[in-house]
Amino acid sequence: MLIGKNATWAYLVARTKVMKRKLIPKDEYRKLLNMEFNEIVRYLEETEYKKEIDEFGYKYSGPKLMDYALSLNLSRTYQKIIRISFGLAKDLITSYLKKWEIMNLVSIIRGKAANIPPDEIEEAIVPVERDLDYYRALIAKDVDEIVNTYRGTPYFETLSKMGTIPPNQLEDELFKTYYLELTKLKPAELSLKLFVDFVKMEVDLRNLKTILRLKAEGATPDEIISRLIPNGFELTMDECRKLATMSWSELVKALEGYWFWKDIEKVEEELSATEVLFDKAWIEAIAKRATSYPLSILPVMHYMVLKKVEVDNLRILGWGKWYNMSNEEIERQMVIV
Amino acid sequence: MAEALISDEAFIKGCAAIGAGLAVGLAGIGAGAGESGIGAAAVGAIAEDRGFLGLGLLFTVIPETIVIFGLVISFILMFAF
Repeated sequence: MLIGKNATWAYLVARTKVMKRKLIPKDEYRKLLNMEFNEIVRYLEETEYKKEIDEFGYKYSGPKLMDYALSLNLSRTYQKIIRISFGLAKDLITSYLKKWEIMNLVSIIRGKAANIPPDEIEEAIVPVERDLDYYRALIAKDVDEIVNTYRGTPYFETLSKMGTIPPNQLEDELFKTYYLELTKLKPAELSLKLFVDFVKMEVDLRNLKTILRLKAEGATPDEIISRLIPNGFELTMDECRKLATMSWSELVKALEGYWFWKDIEKVEEELSATEVLFDKAWIEAIAKRATSYPLSILPVMHYMVLKKVEVDNLRILGWGKWYNMSNEEIERQMVIV
Repeated sequence: MAEALISDEAFIKGCAAIGAGLAVGLAGIGAGAGESGIGAAAVGAIAEDRGFLGLGLLFTVIPETIVIFGLVISFILMFAF
Protein backbone atom coordinates (compact mmCIF):
# COMPACT_ATOMS: atom_id res chain seq x y z
CA MET A 1 0.00 0.00 0.00
CA LEU A 2 2.79 2.34 1.00
CA ILE A 3 4.71 1.38 -2.14
CA GLY A 4 1.79 2.28 -4.39
CA LYS A 5 1.30 5.61 -2.62
CA ASN A 6 4.90 6.64 -3.20
CA ALA A 7 4.70 5.62 -6.84
CA THR A 8 1.65 7.87 -7.33
CA TRP A 9 3.53 10.91 -6.05
CA ALA A 10 6.77 9.90 -7.78
CA TYR A 11 5.07 9.97 -11.18
CA LEU A 12 3.42 13.34 -10.71
CA VAL A 13 6.38 14.98 -8.99
CA ALA A 14 8.88 13.75 -11.62
CA ARG A 15 6.62 15.07 -14.37
CA THR A 16 6.21 18.48 -12.79
CA LYS A 17 9.95 18.65 -12.06
CA VAL A 18 10.66 18.16 -15.77
CA MET A 19 8.04 20.82 -16.55
CA LYS A 20 9.79 23.10 -14.07
CA ARG A 21 13.02 22.76 -16.05
CA LYS A 22 11.24 24.38 -18.98
CA LEU A 23 10.48 27.55 -17.03
CA ILE A 24 12.52 30.63 -17.90
CA PRO A 25 15.68 30.57 -15.74
CA LYS A 26 16.39 33.40 -13.33
CA ASP A 27 19.42 34.61 -15.30
CA GLU A 28 17.42 34.92 -18.52
CA TYR A 29 15.35 37.76 -17.06
CA ARG A 30 18.40 40.03 -17.13
CA LYS A 31 18.74 39.33 -20.85
CA LEU A 32 15.00 39.86 -21.35
CA LEU A 33 15.12 43.18 -19.51
CA ASN A 34 17.62 44.48 -22.05
CA MET A 35 15.46 43.48 -25.01
CA GLU A 36 12.88 45.52 -26.91
CA PHE A 37 9.24 44.43 -26.84
CA ASN A 38 9.38 42.74 -30.25
CA GLU A 39 12.55 40.91 -29.30
CA ILE A 40 10.83 39.59 -26.17
CA VAL A 41 7.94 38.26 -28.26
CA ARG A 42 10.43 36.63 -30.64
CA TYR A 43 12.25 35.12 -27.64
CA LEU A 44 8.96 33.72 -26.32
CA GLU A 45 8.28 32.18 -29.72
CA GLU A 46 11.27 29.97 -29.11
CA THR A 47 9.94 28.80 -25.76
CA GLU A 48 6.88 26.95 -24.43
CA TYR A 49 4.70 29.93 -25.42
CA LYS A 50 5.24 29.52 -29.17
CA LYS A 51 2.01 27.62 -29.84
CA GLU A 52 -0.18 30.21 -28.07
CA ILE A 53 1.57 33.19 -29.69
CA ASP A 54 1.09 31.59 -33.13
CA GLU A 55 -2.57 30.91 -32.36
CA PHE A 56 -3.32 34.51 -31.38
CA GLY A 57 -0.86 36.13 -33.81
CA TYR A 58 -3.46 36.62 -36.54
CA LYS A 59 -5.90 38.30 -34.17
CA TYR A 60 -3.89 40.48 -31.80
CA SER A 61 -0.64 42.38 -31.69
CA GLY A 62 1.51 44.16 -29.10
CA PRO A 63 1.10 43.49 -25.37
CA LYS A 64 -2.47 42.23 -25.90
CA LEU A 65 -1.11 39.36 -27.96
CA MET A 66 1.36 38.57 -25.22
CA ASP A 67 -1.29 38.84 -22.53
CA TYR A 68 -3.72 36.44 -24.18
CA ALA A 69 -0.97 34.02 -25.20
CA LEU A 70 0.38 33.91 -21.64
CA SER A 71 -3.09 33.38 -20.15
CA LEU A 72 -3.86 30.59 -22.60
CA ASN A 73 -0.54 28.91 -21.88
CA LEU A 74 -1.13 29.14 -18.13
CA SER A 75 -4.61 27.73 -18.47
CA ARG A 76 -3.33 24.83 -20.64
CA THR A 77 -0.52 24.11 -18.18
CA TYR A 78 -2.93 23.91 -15.25
CA GLN A 79 -5.35 21.79 -17.28
CA LYS A 80 -2.50 19.45 -18.08
CA ILE A 81 -1.55 19.12 -14.40
CA ILE A 82 -5.15 18.20 -13.58
CA ARG A 83 -5.17 15.72 -16.47
CA ILE A 84 -1.97 13.93 -15.48
CA SER A 85 -2.75 13.74 -11.77
CA PHE A 86 -4.99 11.17 -10.10
CA GLY A 87 -6.43 10.21 -6.74
CA LEU A 88 -5.89 12.56 -3.83
CA ALA A 89 -3.49 14.74 -5.86
CA LYS A 90 -6.16 15.39 -8.49
CA ASP A 91 -8.73 16.30 -5.83
CA LEU A 92 -6.35 18.71 -4.10
CA ILE A 93 -5.12 20.35 -7.30
CA THR A 94 -8.67 20.75 -8.62
CA SER A 95 -9.87 22.27 -5.37
CA TYR A 96 -6.90 24.67 -5.30
CA LEU A 97 -7.46 25.71 -8.93
CA LYS A 98 -11.09 26.49 -8.11
CA LYS A 99 -9.60 29.91 -7.44
CA TRP A 100 -9.63 30.44 -11.20
CA GLU A 101 -13.34 29.71 -11.35
CA ILE A 102 -13.89 32.49 -8.84
CA MET A 103 -11.63 34.85 -10.77
CA ASN A 104 -13.53 34.04 -13.96
CA LEU A 105 -16.84 34.46 -12.18
CA VAL A 106 -15.72 37.87 -10.94
CA SER A 107 -14.68 38.81 -14.51
CA ILE A 108 -18.09 37.76 -15.82
CA ILE A 109 -19.98 39.67 -13.13
CA ARG A 110 -17.84 42.76 -13.67
CA GLY A 111 -18.24 42.48 -17.43
CA LYS A 112 -22.01 42.12 -17.12
CA ALA A 113 -22.21 45.12 -14.80
CA ALA A 114 -20.22 47.24 -17.27
CA ASN A 115 -22.28 46.00 -20.28
CA ILE A 116 -19.22 44.58 -22.00
CA PRO A 117 -20.01 42.43 -25.07
CA PRO A 118 -19.92 38.64 -24.42
CA ASP A 119 -16.98 38.15 -26.81
CA GLU A 120 -14.82 40.53 -24.80
CA ILE A 121 -15.82 38.95 -21.48
CA GLU A 122 -14.91 35.57 -22.95
CA GLU A 123 -11.43 36.83 -23.80
CA ALA A 124 -10.78 37.59 -20.13
CA ILE A 125 -11.67 34.05 -19.07
CA VAL A 126 -8.91 31.64 -18.06
CA PRO A 127 -10.58 28.22 -18.10
CA VAL A 128 -8.77 25.83 -15.79
CA GLU A 129 -10.80 23.23 -13.94
CA ARG A 130 -13.92 23.98 -15.99
CA ASP A 131 -13.91 24.25 -19.78
CA LEU A 132 -14.65 27.33 -21.84
CA ASP A 133 -18.13 26.05 -22.80
CA TYR A 134 -19.14 26.22 -19.14
CA TYR A 135 -18.14 29.89 -18.98
CA ARG A 136 -19.74 30.62 -22.38
CA ALA A 137 -23.01 29.29 -20.96
CA LEU A 138 -22.54 31.48 -17.86
CA ILE A 139 -21.84 34.58 -19.95
CA ALA A 140 -25.03 33.97 -21.95
CA LYS A 141 -27.09 33.99 -18.71
CA ASP A 142 -28.24 37.06 -16.82
CA VAL A 143 -26.86 37.80 -13.36
CA ASP A 144 -29.75 36.13 -11.45
CA GLU A 145 -29.38 32.96 -13.48
CA ILE A 146 -25.63 32.95 -12.79
CA VAL A 147 -26.37 33.16 -9.07
CA ASN A 148 -28.85 30.29 -9.38
CA THR A 149 -26.25 28.16 -11.17
CA TYR A 150 -24.29 28.19 -7.93
CA ARG A 151 -27.25 27.15 -5.80
CA GLY A 152 -26.17 24.33 -3.50
CA THR A 153 -22.52 25.38 -3.52
CA PRO A 154 -20.73 27.27 -0.71
CA TYR A 155 -20.61 30.32 -2.98
CA PHE A 156 -24.37 30.70 -3.37
CA GLU A 157 -24.90 32.60 -0.13
CA THR A 158 -22.26 35.20 -1.05
CA LEU A 159 -23.41 35.44 -4.65
CA SER A 160 -27.00 35.99 -3.57
CA LYS A 161 -25.83 39.20 -1.87
CA MET A 162 -25.01 40.61 -5.29
CA GLY A 163 -26.38 44.12 -5.68
CA THR A 164 -26.76 44.64 -1.94
CA ILE A 165 -23.02 44.87 -1.21
CA PRO A 166 -20.30 46.69 -3.18
CA PRO A 167 -18.64 44.58 -5.95
CA ASN A 168 -15.20 44.60 -4.30
CA GLN A 169 -16.72 43.31 -1.05
CA LEU A 170 -18.49 40.58 -3.00
CA GLU A 171 -15.16 39.53 -4.50
CA ASP A 172 -13.53 39.51 -1.07
CA GLU A 173 -16.36 37.39 0.30
CA LEU A 174 -16.07 34.91 -2.56
CA PHE A 175 -12.35 34.46 -1.93
CA LYS A 176 -12.98 34.23 1.80
CA THR A 177 -15.42 31.36 1.15
CA TYR A 178 -12.89 29.72 -1.18
CA TYR A 179 -10.08 29.81 1.40
CA LEU A 180 -12.42 28.73 4.21
CA GLU A 181 -13.47 25.70 2.16
CA LEU A 182 -9.85 24.69 1.66
CA THR A 183 -8.51 25.41 5.13
CA LYS A 184 -11.33 23.57 6.88
CA LEU A 185 -10.22 20.26 5.31
CA LYS A 186 -9.34 17.81 8.08
CA PRO A 187 -5.69 16.85 7.59
CA ALA A 188 -6.13 13.09 7.99
CA GLU A 189 -2.84 12.33 6.29
CA LEU A 190 0.47 14.10 5.74
CA SER A 191 -0.15 15.12 2.13
CA LEU A 192 -3.41 16.73 3.08
CA LYS A 193 -1.80 18.52 6.03
CA LEU A 194 0.99 19.86 3.79
CA PHE A 195 -1.61 21.08 1.32
CA VAL A 196 -3.68 22.80 4.01
CA ASP A 197 -0.53 24.44 5.42
CA PHE A 198 0.37 25.63 1.91
CA VAL A 199 -3.04 27.23 1.53
CA LYS A 200 -2.80 28.73 5.01
CA MET A 201 0.53 30.33 4.08
CA GLU A 202 -1.18 31.84 1.05
CA VAL A 203 -3.90 33.16 3.36
CA ASP A 204 -1.18 34.72 5.55
CA LEU A 205 0.27 36.47 2.55
CA ARG A 206 -3.09 37.80 1.41
CA ASN A 207 -3.94 38.99 4.92
CA LEU A 208 -0.54 40.60 5.29
CA LYS A 209 -0.96 42.53 2.04
CA THR A 210 -4.48 43.56 3.02
CA ILE A 211 -3.34 44.79 6.44
CA LEU A 212 -0.41 46.76 5.02
CA ARG A 213 -2.38 48.31 2.17
CA LEU A 214 -5.34 49.28 4.33
CA LYS A 215 -3.07 50.59 7.09
CA ALA A 216 -1.23 52.72 4.55
CA GLU A 217 -4.58 54.07 3.37
CA GLY A 218 -5.53 54.86 6.99
CA ALA A 219 -8.40 52.37 7.32
CA THR A 220 -9.88 51.66 10.77
CA PRO A 221 -9.09 48.34 12.54
CA ASP A 222 -12.71 47.20 12.07
CA GLU A 223 -12.54 47.83 8.34
CA ILE A 224 -9.29 45.88 8.12
CA ILE A 225 -10.58 42.95 10.18
CA SER A 226 -13.76 42.70 8.11
CA ARG A 227 -11.68 42.11 4.99
CA LEU A 228 -9.34 39.47 6.41
CA ILE A 229 -9.53 35.75 5.77
CA PRO A 230 -9.62 33.45 8.84
CA ASN A 231 -7.49 30.30 9.32
CA GLY A 232 -4.04 31.65 8.50
CA PHE A 233 -0.82 29.71 9.07
CA GLU A 234 0.83 32.05 11.57
CA LEU A 235 -1.44 35.05 11.13
CA THR A 236 -4.46 33.66 12.90
CA MET A 237 -7.49 35.91 13.33
CA ASP A 238 -6.34 36.88 16.86
CA GLU A 239 -2.89 37.81 15.55
CA CYS A 240 -4.46 39.78 12.70
CA ARG A 241 -6.72 41.63 15.15
CA LYS A 242 -3.66 42.62 17.17
CA LEU A 243 -1.79 43.77 14.06
CA ALA A 244 -4.78 45.73 12.76
CA THR A 245 -4.96 47.82 15.93
CA MET A 246 -1.23 48.70 15.93
CA SER A 247 0.31 51.89 14.63
CA TRP A 248 2.39 51.66 11.42
CA SER A 249 5.76 51.51 13.22
CA GLU A 250 4.51 48.96 15.78
CA LEU A 251 3.02 46.88 12.97
CA VAL A 252 6.27 46.77 10.98
CA LYS A 253 8.20 45.81 14.12
CA ALA A 254 5.65 43.10 15.02
CA LEU A 255 5.89 41.50 11.57
CA GLU A 256 9.57 40.71 12.02
CA GLY A 257 9.09 37.37 13.74
CA TYR A 258 6.84 35.79 11.12
CA TRP A 259 7.85 33.24 8.47
CA PHE A 260 7.46 35.70 5.59
CA TRP A 261 9.91 38.19 7.09
CA LYS A 262 13.05 37.13 5.28
CA ASP A 263 15.74 39.40 3.78
CA ILE A 264 13.43 42.34 4.40
CA GLU A 265 15.09 45.35 6.00
CA LYS A 266 12.11 47.66 6.08
CA VAL A 267 8.66 48.14 4.61
CA GLU A 268 9.20 50.50 1.68
CA GLU A 269 7.05 53.56 1.01
CA GLU A 270 6.09 51.89 -2.22
CA LEU A 271 4.23 48.86 -0.88
CA SER A 272 4.32 46.88 -4.13
CA ALA A 273 8.13 46.61 -3.83
CA THR A 274 7.83 45.09 -0.34
CA GLU A 275 5.03 42.82 -1.53
CA VAL A 276 7.44 41.40 -4.10
CA LEU A 277 9.84 40.55 -1.25
CA PHE A 278 7.03 38.83 0.65
CA ASP A 279 6.15 36.85 -2.48
CA LYS A 280 9.78 35.80 -2.83
CA ALA A 281 9.88 34.73 0.83
CA TRP A 282 6.68 32.75 0.25
CA ILE A 283 8.05 30.95 -2.81
CA GLU A 284 11.31 30.18 -0.99
CA ALA A 285 9.38 28.81 1.98
CA ILE A 286 7.34 26.53 -0.32
CA ALA A 287 10.52 25.42 -2.12
CA LYS A 288 12.11 24.56 1.20
CA ARG A 289 9.10 22.56 2.35
CA ALA A 290 8.86 20.87 -1.06
CA THR A 291 12.48 19.75 -0.68
CA SER A 292 11.73 18.37 2.79
CA TYR A 293 8.71 16.46 1.48
CA PRO A 294 9.66 15.45 -2.08
CA LEU A 295 6.95 12.81 -2.44
CA SER A 296 3.98 15.00 -1.63
CA ILE A 297 1.72 17.60 -3.19
CA LEU A 298 4.18 20.41 -2.41
CA PRO A 299 6.55 20.07 -5.41
CA VAL A 300 3.47 20.22 -7.65
CA MET A 301 2.10 23.30 -5.86
CA HIS A 302 5.57 24.86 -6.04
CA TYR A 303 5.63 24.39 -9.80
CA MET A 304 2.12 25.81 -10.17
CA VAL A 305 3.11 28.91 -8.21
CA LEU A 306 6.33 29.31 -10.23
CA LYS A 307 4.41 29.05 -13.49
CA LYS A 308 1.97 31.74 -12.38
CA VAL A 309 4.86 33.94 -11.26
CA GLU A 310 6.59 33.47 -14.63
CA VAL A 311 3.45 34.47 -16.51
CA ASP A 312 3.01 37.52 -14.26
CA ASN A 313 6.68 38.48 -14.72
CA LEU A 314 6.42 38.25 -18.50
CA ARG A 315 3.22 40.28 -18.43
CA ILE A 316 4.89 43.01 -16.33
CA LEU A 317 7.89 42.90 -18.65
CA GLY A 318 5.76 43.13 -21.79
CA TRP A 319 3.56 45.99 -20.64
CA GLY A 320 6.53 47.78 -19.03
CA LYS A 321 8.55 47.62 -22.24
CA TRP A 322 5.53 48.66 -24.31
CA TYR A 323 5.12 51.79 -22.19
CA ASN A 324 8.87 52.48 -22.10
CA MET A 325 9.28 52.01 -18.36
CA SER A 326 12.85 51.90 -17.09
CA ASN A 327 14.48 48.49 -16.62
CA GLU A 328 14.93 49.18 -12.89
CA GLU A 329 11.25 49.98 -12.43
CA ILE A 330 10.18 46.85 -14.33
CA GLU A 331 12.61 44.69 -12.37
CA ARG A 332 11.30 46.07 -9.08
CA GLN A 333 7.82 44.80 -9.92
CA MET A 334 8.95 41.35 -10.98
CA VAL A 335 9.20 38.36 -8.65
CA ILE A 336 12.44 36.78 -9.85
CA VAL A 337 13.23 33.62 -7.87
CA MET B 1 8.20 -42.66 10.28
CA ALA B 2 9.69 -39.54 8.62
CA GLU B 3 13.18 -40.89 9.15
CA ALA B 4 12.26 -43.90 7.16
CA LEU B 5 10.88 -41.86 4.21
CA ILE B 6 13.44 -39.02 3.83
CA SER B 7 17.20 -39.49 3.89
CA ASP B 8 19.48 -36.82 5.40
CA GLU B 9 20.81 -35.88 1.99
CA ALA B 10 17.36 -35.41 0.52
CA PHE B 11 16.28 -33.32 3.52
CA ILE B 12 19.30 -30.98 3.10
CA LYS B 13 18.71 -30.71 -0.63
CA GLY B 14 15.07 -29.87 0.02
CA CYS B 15 15.97 -27.15 2.52
CA ALA B 16 18.55 -25.75 0.10
CA ALA B 17 15.91 -25.64 -2.66
CA ILE B 18 13.48 -23.77 -0.36
CA GLY B 19 16.31 -21.37 0.58
CA ALA B 20 17.13 -20.81 -3.08
CA GLY B 21 13.49 -20.06 -3.84
CA LEU B 22 13.25 -17.64 -0.93
CA ALA B 23 16.48 -15.91 -1.97
CA VAL B 24 15.20 -15.19 -5.47
CA GLY B 25 11.59 -14.57 -4.43
CA LEU B 26 12.25 -12.16 -1.59
CA ALA B 27 14.95 -10.35 -3.58
CA GLY B 28 12.40 -10.02 -6.40
CA ILE B 29 9.77 -8.56 -4.06
CA GLY B 30 12.36 -6.12 -2.66
CA ALA B 31 13.47 -5.08 -6.11
CA GLY B 32 9.85 -4.65 -7.18
CA ALA B 33 9.20 -2.41 -4.19
CA GLY B 34 12.22 -0.32 -5.04
CA GLU B 35 11.41 -0.19 -8.73
CA SER B 36 7.78 0.86 -8.26
CA GLY B 37 8.73 4.39 -7.18
CA ILE B 38 11.69 4.73 -9.50
CA GLY B 39 9.75 3.32 -12.45
CA ALA B 40 6.82 5.66 -11.84
CA ALA B 41 9.17 8.65 -11.63
CA ALA B 42 11.02 7.52 -14.74
CA VAL B 43 7.77 7.13 -16.70
CA GLY B 44 6.72 10.62 -15.54
CA ALA B 45 10.00 12.17 -16.61
CA ILE B 46 10.05 10.33 -19.96
CA ALA B 47 6.45 11.36 -20.66
CA GLU B 48 7.55 14.99 -20.43
CA ASP B 49 10.93 14.64 -22.11
CA ARG B 50 12.05 11.67 -24.21
CA GLY B 51 15.65 12.59 -23.39
CA PHE B 52 15.21 10.91 -20.02
CA LEU B 53 14.63 7.47 -21.58
CA GLY B 54 18.20 6.19 -21.11
CA LEU B 55 18.68 7.62 -17.65
CA GLY B 56 15.17 6.57 -16.59
CA LEU B 57 15.77 2.98 -17.67
CA LEU B 58 19.15 2.89 -15.98
CA PHE B 59 17.76 4.08 -12.65
CA THR B 60 14.78 1.74 -12.92
CA VAL B 61 16.97 -1.36 -13.26
CA ILE B 62 19.36 -0.47 -10.43
CA PRO B 63 17.27 -2.40 -7.82
CA GLU B 64 17.52 -5.41 -10.17
CA THR B 65 21.05 -5.92 -8.82
CA ILE B 66 19.45 -7.16 -5.60
CA VAL B 67 17.76 -9.95 -7.61
CA ILE B 68 21.14 -10.86 -9.11
CA PHE B 69 22.55 -11.23 -5.60
CA GLY B 70 19.55 -13.41 -4.73
CA LEU B 71 20.12 -15.46 -7.87
CA VAL B 72 23.79 -15.96 -7.01
CA ILE B 73 22.83 -17.15 -3.52
CA SER B 74 20.27 -19.52 -5.02
CA PHE B 75 22.86 -20.98 -7.41
CA ILE B 76 25.28 -21.50 -4.54
CA LEU B 77 22.55 -23.22 -2.55
CA MET B 78 21.46 -25.37 -5.43
CA PHE B 79 24.88 -26.53 -6.59
CA ALA B 80 26.93 -26.50 -3.38
CA PHE B 81 24.90 -29.32 -1.83
